[in-house]
Amino acid sequence: METEATVSEFQNMLSARGVTRRSFMKLCGAVAAAAGLSQLAAPQIAQALEKSVIGATKGKLYPVIWIEGASCTGCTESFAQVETPDPASVVLELISLNYSETLSAAAGWSMEEAKEQTIEAGNYILVYEGAVLEGWGGQALRVADKPGTEHLIEAAEKANAVVALGSCAVNGGWMGAHPNSSDALGVQAFLKKAGIDTPVINIPGCPANPEWLVSVLVDVVLLEKLPALNSENKPSGIFDQTIHDNCERRGHFENGEFVYQFGSEEEAKGYCLYPMGCRGPQTKSNCGVTLWNDRRSWCVQAGSPCIGCCEANPNDPGHNWVEVNTPFYKRHRDLRIGDWMVQPGTIALGITGILAAALVVHGFGMKVSGRMDGGADFEKVRAWDKNHPDKSIGKYNLSRDEAKAACEKSSKNSQAKPVETDEEEGR
Amino acid sequence: MTRSVIDPITRIEGHLRVEMEVTNGKVSDAWVSGGCFRGMEMVVENRTPEDAAQIVQRICGVCPVSHAHSSTIAAEHAYGIKISNNARIIRNILEGAQFLHSHILWFYNLAALDYVNPLNALKANAADAYDLAQAAGTSMNSDFVALQERLSNFADNGQLSIFSGNWFDAEDGTGYKLPPELDLICTAHYLEALQMQAKASQISAIIGGKMPHVMTLIPGGTAFVPTDQKLDDLKYLVDEVYNWVEATMIPDTLAIAPYYIDALNWGKGCGRYVAWGVFENESMELADRYLPMGVIDDKLNLSDVKEELITEYMGHSWYKGEETYTSPYFVTEPEYTEYDVNDRYTWVKCPAYDGKPYEAGGLSRILAAYKRNVPFIVEQVDGLLEALGAPGQIGVAQSTLGRTAVRQIETLYIAGLMKDWVAELCEAVKSGDSDYFREPSTITGSGTGFWEAPRGALYHSEEVKDGKITGYQIIIPTTWNLAPKNANGESGPMEQALIGNPVGDIEKPINALRTVHSFDPCTACAVHITEPATGKSFETVTSPWGVK
Repeated sequence: METEATVSEFQNMLSARGVTRRSFMKLCGAVAAAAGLSQLAAPQIAQALEKSVIGATKGKLYPVIWIEGASCTGCTESFAQVETPDPASVVLELISLNYSETLSAAAGWSMEEAKEQTIEAGNYILVYEGAVLEGWGGQALRVADKPGTEHLIEAAEKANAVVALGSCAVNGGWMGAHPNSSDALGVQAFLKKAGIDTPVINIPGCPANPEWLVSVLVDVVLLEKLPALNSENKPSGIFDQTIHDNCERRGHFENGEFVYQFGSEEEAKGYCLYPMGCRGPQTKSNCGVTLWNDRRSWCVQAGSPCIGCCEANPNDPGHNWVEVNTPFYKRHRDLRIGDWMVQPGTIALGITGILAAALVVHGFGMKVSGRMDGGADFEKVRAWDKNHPDKSIGKYNLSRDEAKAACEKSSKNSQAKPVETDEEEGR
Repeated sequence: MTRSVIDPITRIEGHLRVEMEVTNGKVSDAWVSGGCFRGMEMVVENRTPEDAAQIVQRICGVCPVSHAHSSTIAAEHAYGIKISNNARIIRNILEGAQFLHSHILWFYNLAALDYVNPLNALKANAADAYDLAQAAGTSMNSDFVALQERLSNFADNGQLSIFSGNWFDAEDGTGYKLPPELDLICTAHYLEALQMQAKASQISAIIGGKMPHVMTLIPGGTAFVPTDQKLDDLKYLVDEVYNWVEATMIPDTLAIAPYYIDALNWGKGCGRYVAWGVFENESMELADRYLPMGVIDDKLNLSDVKEELITEYMGHSWYKGEETYTSPYFVTEPEYTEYDVNDRYTWVKCPAYDGKPYEAGGLSRILAAYKRNVPFIVEQVDGLLEALGAPGQIGVAQSTLGRTAVRQIETLYIAGLMKDWVAELCEAVKSGDSDYFREPSTITGSGTGFWEAPRGALYHSEEVKDGKITGYQIIIPTTWNLAPKNANGESGPMEQALIGNPVGDIEKPINALRTVHSFDPCTACAVHITEPATGKSFETVTSPWGVK
């Protein structure tokens, strides 16, 4: 039942893109009608293998070269978890994966030869996983006796498009974080420096969700076009919305029902993880819709705040998700909202901080508006606050009047305008 | 005397080059080179232990849970936290799911293509394949006829996809030797395995949010709180994976083994083994773990680990200096010179225990468990040795085929334990125990996390001051296995394992590839560095618990 459900979701996705199931299946060759027990003519097949084609000019599969740069193989691993279609269908019936360090049967020179032939034949897509390392003249990453940077240049020059898969490929990822000892950067920035103008599709995430890659492949292979891209060359359908927009715990945020401790009673109730450091409001991706691992779960559902792993500015290795988001579990109540939630000196988070602050005011505004009444109790004073009255933000179980006063005070002092509570009541 | 080079080695995690000297059809010397340097330890310095548990997972996308686990254990030692029983069970299930995922993927989708030729399966008679599967006692859930049809369509198209440039025609007397029917069965299981490893990852995803790179393993316990629905999903998935593993993996190994029985005669590494142990028992002692800790010398005698005997040398690696450093005071600075097998030739450092190279991995764990009389392991290993025609000779496990085969025993053991742990968790939840996470009493200290990744002994160690890391070291399993020659000129474990491998075709040295894959190497893990603290600082309080 479940498999059927996900398959039809995939069909919906396809039909939303104007592809009928019929034409998809035809193109995949996946429904070789099980017409009897047709005898297989081994010699003919052997002959076909001898005449194997590498380029896309003859065969029906779209050639793909998948290069692992400075990667953890997590994006390949992630791809191996995809269910609709499963990886075997992808590599046997959708694309011809002519070079993959993780999946290829070949090794050594014959691998490199297959890659060279593919490049020679042209009309292929390059998927690049992992960071580009410029350290020691590119020798920080050595493959087949050459710096990794040379492999990228060779393969990117003649590709129809380059998919920079995962946050590392987009801008260096964690390797770009201080002190960036191997001089990591992303594919787009590197190719620009190298003067190569092949279009780049950036798919951030640590790892990238396999559904995102498959949706791009479907665009390229079946619809023969690049997906719509935003100003950072990320597919807009996926990366133009925030985690917060689609969060399943959003309702608790609206109600001001929060988790203040991992593994707590509030967590068991599925309350909002915002105070645990959730980067949902500023992180752009549709994780809450796509979910992970055959839609089994995702970070927030499992009880972890979003740590913003899709944060990646393709032009700046310094603006990577680790540098921007650590410490991951910093309590947002340390942030400054007027001087209500203040721990002085903790702001300095720029626009994202203020934006986040505005959202919290919005959340607490719900309490003032009375929608909190009858809900679960706020946490009483926590142990840490008891020990540090000077740094404490005070109690959470404010009375209605206290909360109203605090909210007014904070919205007056805050640089960001909080969402009006009246508006919310009208919903 | 000729040189044979495989670069890149495929179907592993990361970038690896193997250079071999071949004399009279056998490998006479070998150099393995890890090709990538990323600088993990420097990145986590000056960040919090909680951040480190997230960031270090990015060392390896195949075994992120183990890195998070090891880092978390180190932080808990530093913080003085003993985790709750619920957290222990949940973390065992999370780790176990990753082991199942990794072992299934490794055996069928990475290593098996050294033995199985899917294109040869086209020649099989499907009806005979059913008979053969029944005789071998292995599962036949797949429709072999439909599979042949699918392969035939694939072959007719002419594009070879992942089989481009394959070595299926390697002709050195030990090339691909399976009959077409067995190739067909194993190809069916290759495809089933792709689904099963994904199912195992779904178990990780239920607890960890996503896989790779799980989210809920944090110092202090777990952020995951099971609901009835999640428990139900866990139980269903664990049962499904167990049933498949039980019906398929060991029978397939025994069906393939007779065709490659020569591989019992070569591929022995340095003959010394380290295992730090994995899967916590209630006592939380290393020697009591479900797969226990053990250091095994070249006479196969077992002893307990002494941390001060672990050293690192980098005279043959691309780092400054030639000193040998003792745990946990490793100091390293990266400096690429050039690839020269007589001098420096790898980004992998050279760790040693008691001054000697040691092998890590499934074989090490199995030997430690065998020596410590873990009943299931003893029974299964004895059964395997008998099936391979070497009853009672544990020594033959030290070979390319032995190393490859014993991992399936471990997989079945863990799959069974997973069922127990899920039952244990259900009981704990039923009893009303809701303790999942504990706060630290101090945020200054130091700690080590001895643990195991699927590919072997894993060690994270950290110094923490006021909630920030001031020093961080990692020794990962593949560093042990891919170690270059040491200060005395003794080759590393994989280098030793390659010496003596028969090579019929120096362009396609398939036996060497089998030996390399038997280690399940993971070179992205193997390369990393440590360096004294650098000047990075944060402007705000960085501990989630504030300053104590």
